Amino acid sequence: MPSNSPHTLPSLDGLNKAFESKARLGIMSVLMVNESADFATLKQLLALTDGNLASHTRALEELGYIQCEKRFIGRKPNTSFSVTQAGSQAFKAHLKALEQFVAHASS
Amino acid sequence: MNNNDAIDTLREIKDLMQKSSRFQTISGISIIIIGIYASIVSFGAWLLLGNHEPYSWLPSWATDFALNTPGRTWAAILCALVLLVLSFGTVCLMSYFKTKRVNQRFVFDQTVRRSLWAFFVPAATGGLLCLAMLQQGHYGITSSFMLVFYGLALINSAHHTTSRLALLGYVELLLGIVDCFVVNQGLLFWFLGFGLWHIIFGIFFTLSNRRQS
Repeated sequence: MPSNSPHTLPSLDGLNKAFESKARLGIMSVLMVNESADFATLKQLLALTDGNLASHTRALEELGYIQCEKRFIGRKPNTSFSVTQAGSQAFKAHLKALEQFVAHASS
Repeated sequence: MNNNDAIDTLREIKDLMQKSSRFQTISGISIIIIGIYASIVSFGAWLLLGNHEPYSWLPSWATDFALNTPGRTWAAILCALVLLVLSFGTVCLMSYFKTKRVNQRFVFDQTVRRSLWAFFVPAATGGLLCLAMLQQGHYGITSSFMLVFYGLALINSAHHTTSRLALLGYVELLLGIVDCFVVNQGLLFWFLGFGLWHIIFGIFFTLSNRRQS
């Protein structure tokens, strides 16, 4: 559960610090609506470099928000990512906080 | 973080979710074009199949789809298959070029695979069913089967492309169902569904795309 997990980083206003970077937010957005996405797809969708994407996915993996599966398609290595339950909950909470923030600010 | 940042962020999230899960660059013009193809073919079929009936005092569309000689049946099937390949080719090619124009490049990715799969499972089932019915001599209801399964295929694939496509599907489905209950007017309904409605929907689709961008 994300709320009890030592890895969650709740901030004061309910926004999750883990999702502060655009890249991580992007990775999570893509994975939320797709069963899984591979490295190349993410790279293309988010227009990130290999190293950049790798470091962000590693960070999210360490938080337990996404999991990665490495396999071979023919001889080519293929890494695909999918969101974990904890990641899904954390992302939804973050979205909710964002929406509330907007609602408050505009009222 | 200020309010605009938050709104931008939410918008980006939504864009990414759509972009990564839906194939959105279906060409609207190609829908109009396949409507025109279908209209031409149904006019051809009308010439081919009509006018030879003993009931020539009837309006000819009323007796049209009484496909009673094997030669005419196979000619009609051949026409339909050519039309199918031509239409599919047109939509694919024009959507390919549109994708390239919008995204700079075309990737045969999950979104394309999923939309094609969602479309072809019902469409191919219906197509095979139609062939089987024609082969066994059940002509009367072929056009409604085509419309119904085509409609279902569109509604199914709308989840993976743009939701507006479902409207195209629902109308085809409705026409197909009405067609089931009307005797001997298959060609008319076929023209309304595959010809006229494609053209109308294609125009609507293209205009609403223009307005969005």
